[in-house]
Amino acid sequence: MTTNIPTIQASPEEIYDIELEHSLLEANAKIAAANRKALDSHGITAIDFMGAIGSGKTTLITKLVEKLKPKLGVAVFNGDATVSDDFDGVARQQAPVVQIATVNGCHLDANVVGKALKHVDLKKISLIFIENIGNLICPAEFPLGSKARVVVISVTEGPYMVKKHPHMFLGARIVVINKSDLADIMGVSIAELTKDVHTLKPDIKVIATSCKTGEGVEEVAGALLAV
Amino acid sequence: MHEFSIATQILESVLEFAGAHPGAEVAAIRLAIGELMCVEHEQLRFCFDSIKGGTALENTSLEMAAVRAVVECPHCRYQGAAKYWEDAQAAPVPTLQCPRCGKAAAAIEGEDCAIKSIQLSGLHYENAI
Repeated sequence: MTTNIPTIQASPEEIYDIELEHSLLEANAKIAAANRKALDSHGITAIDFMGAIGSGKTTLITKLVEKLKPKLGVAVFNGDATVSDDFDGVARQQAPVVQIATVNGCHLDANVVGKALKHVDLKKISLIFIENIGNLICPAEFPLGSKARVVVISVTEGPYMVKKHPHMFLGARIVVINKSDLADIMGVSIAELTKDVHTLKPDIKVIATSCKTGEGVEEVAGALLAV
Repeated sequence: MHEFSIATQILESVLEFAGAHPGAEVAAIRLAIGELMCVEHEQLRFCFDSIKGGTALENTSLEMAAVRAVVECPHCRYQGAAKYWEDAQAAPVPTLQCPRCGKAAAAIEGEDCAIKSIQLSGLHYENAI
């Protein structure tokens, strides 16, 4: 463009920058906030559980329901790539279970959790456990509306779980190191794993558990009631 | 592959914007990706490139910039760059441990993933404003 032309019109090869400032995580965050509001209005605490496949999330949740069900109304949302039947243990205790099959998804998002909330009687429960898909990478970016996040790892995953997947632990309130009865056999130090978690964030509560011997399960239950 | 969900969101929101500005071609989309987010830049590019074919963004490129983590400490009031964990596998990662007093800090930057701006070509100037 030359200065002697008073009207300005762009030629096709000209380029304009347009500021958008559009957050890509906002859509999920908004639904998560709406879920949280619905939960808060019913006095319900939701806790989401993350961890690798086989770390013991389902077994831990089953044990926690066993401990807490007599005291309060507990429901469980089980996220899985397909519908699984490993929640028989929870169902046997008459706790409502909602299966969330993500089919091809690698994480739960706030939208599917919002849908699951419509399938339980919110007046009858005060605690919801949400089991995320067994994956240590994807779910961290997608808050669900829960009050606290628990990351479950196990000693059988080796000594470098925290060093390998640090992002997952940054948003956790509680980290459970499961299968503690196998620590010696695996040659994995629970103290080292704990130190790694605290390097990332010093106020995370770390609890060693064994769902087999029952070690630490009571402590996890107590920590969840305190969030 | 949460990169796929993010790529889908980018495509949908920019297509919506482009639809409201007929005649314009989106040359580039500039993203700011927080380093506390576990978003792989190359995977995101791959996902975006795989789904843009056949849409109005077929020739659009992604430009990605990392946003450094900034933390705030409720204990000692430190505010600034995060402390990095050099020992982590792969690259050093930002932590939420206060670099000054060592207690737990909160992230105030580096936790978002956003479209900062888009670059349009072929747009009439008066429509651009």
